[in-house]
Amino acid sequence: MKEVVIDSLGEACPIPLVKAQNAMKEMEIGDVLIVQIDHSCAMKNLPEWARKEGHNVEIEEVDDAEWEVIIEKAK
Amino acid sequence: MTREKKVENYDVVVIGGGPAGLTAAIYAGRARLSTLLIEKALIGGLATYTNTIENYSGFPNGPKGEYITNEMKKQAEEMGVKFKLTAVKSVDFEGTNKVVETFRNKYIAKTVIIATGGRPRTTGAQNEDKFLFDKGISFCATCDAAANTGKHVLVIGSGDAAIEEGMFLTKFADKVSVSVIHDEGKMDCNEIAKEAALANPKMDFYWNTVVDNFEGEDMLERVNLKNLKTKEIIPVVTDSCFEFIGYLPNTEIFEGLLKMSGNKYVITNERMETNYPGVFACGDVRDKWLKQVSTAVGDGAIAGFAAEKYIAETEQFEEVLMQTKKPGLIFVYNAIDPDSRKFLSTIDAYEKSKAGTIAVNRVDVYKSTGLADRLGVTNYPAVVITNEGQVSSIVYEGICEEGFCIETFDELFKTSCKVCK
Repeated sequence: MKEVVIDSLGEACPIPLVKAQNAMKEMEIGDVLIVQIDHSCAMKNLPEWARKEGHNVEIEEVDDAEWEVIIEKAK
Repeated sequence: MTREKKVENYDVVVIGGGPAGLTAAIYAGRARLSTLLIEKALIGGLATYTNTIENYSGFPNGPKGEYITNEMKKQAEEMGVKFKLTAVKSVDFEGTNKVVETFRNKYIAKTVIIATGGRPRTTGAQNEDKFLFDKGISFCATCDAAANTGKHVLVIGSGDAAIEEGMFLTKFADKVSVSVIHDEGKMDCNEIAKEAALANPKMDFYWNTVVDNFEGEDMLERVNLKNLKTKEIIPVVTDSCFEFIGYLPNTEIFEGLLKMSGNKYVITNERMETNYPGVFACGDVRDKWLKQVSTAVGDGAIAGFAAEKYIAETEQFEEVLMQTKKPGLIFVYNAIDPDSRKFLSTIDAYEKSKAGTIAVNRVDVYKSTGLADRLGVTNYPAVVITNEGQVSSIVYEGICEEGFCIETFDELFKTSCKVCK
């Protein structure tokens, strides 16, 4: 199982979401995508989009206002 | 791919990290309860979708919603609250231990506080799904305003959120059009916002309209509005449409468990208690009249306090009142009732005469009837007799008459009548 990390630090919406969507297309079921973000707007749409797509999502707050969105591709 | 879920125990698990959940967690944390707050995405809830909050007391100058909720989060962290950012997959509220499961964890809690709030309602118009998630339809002006610098944007709705956020958007966009369902000049927002919006040269209005459909290749290009009176279709060329047409409660995972209103909001009493003992609901997810940061905070305080009381009462009930070592006598009274107070000396005398062979307890219902409710006592004063951790008798009558009681109590331990006359 592959793990892909996207550094989207310093990038505002919609860039983190678009990057994540593109990366997920290249991934297999069970692979994990980690998107590093520090714009809170991405915390609103990225996890929601991933869950709507049916993937498993967890978020780590690595620092104040800096997060890693961890998406496990489920289908 | 099924791996064992990690199990953790907490006194309080709060589901939802908006103002209600954060406040409940602050109260629970301050009561030194081990508290976990689970939030599916960004701490702050719907308040973070608001660019300025003008009416939250103590915060003048209209701060960003996110500023207020970040302060709340800091406060909760100082109280020792733990945070987990993930979605709750399922809950089990049967039994004394409540279970809350996420993708990787299983949390066992003495109490659960539901503060899952709401989410923006969508129009349901044709092709709407195609343009969600940064494809042109947004619910958050704060998030997406900057991307609309110099553009023409369309706002749907006329409530406070629609008009106030619409005005915020005029700082970036060249033109903000607003689709209003009502007749010309009528809006759902407050008067101050309405006057300001009508006077704003960058704003114009499509009265009596709703969205008919959305159009575009990959991104949104055009919104077709429909005039409800003339049936005319009005194409509005725009690549950004902001919808502010109310909210839907996040209650799907509680359906069939919690009592809900017709609109699927959770029904509670004024103590934020749901139909499950030990499960509370607060904030926008509750069926209530006014949904604001202020009322969410008030709800959260009550829920946090109620959870603390529930845990304390459960411990007292199970470990003290329902002890199994000795036969027990519990006097349930209201401390503000003089007759009940007078009777306390009889209880003292009885306790002394039994020299420790009977466990005597006193329960004052003045502040909370929680313990009395668990005992099944409905009137006060009352005497409850227990044997081997079970209630054997409840006596309401005659217990305050002089000289009547001591012999009666002795008799009660020999008989067993659920409610004695």
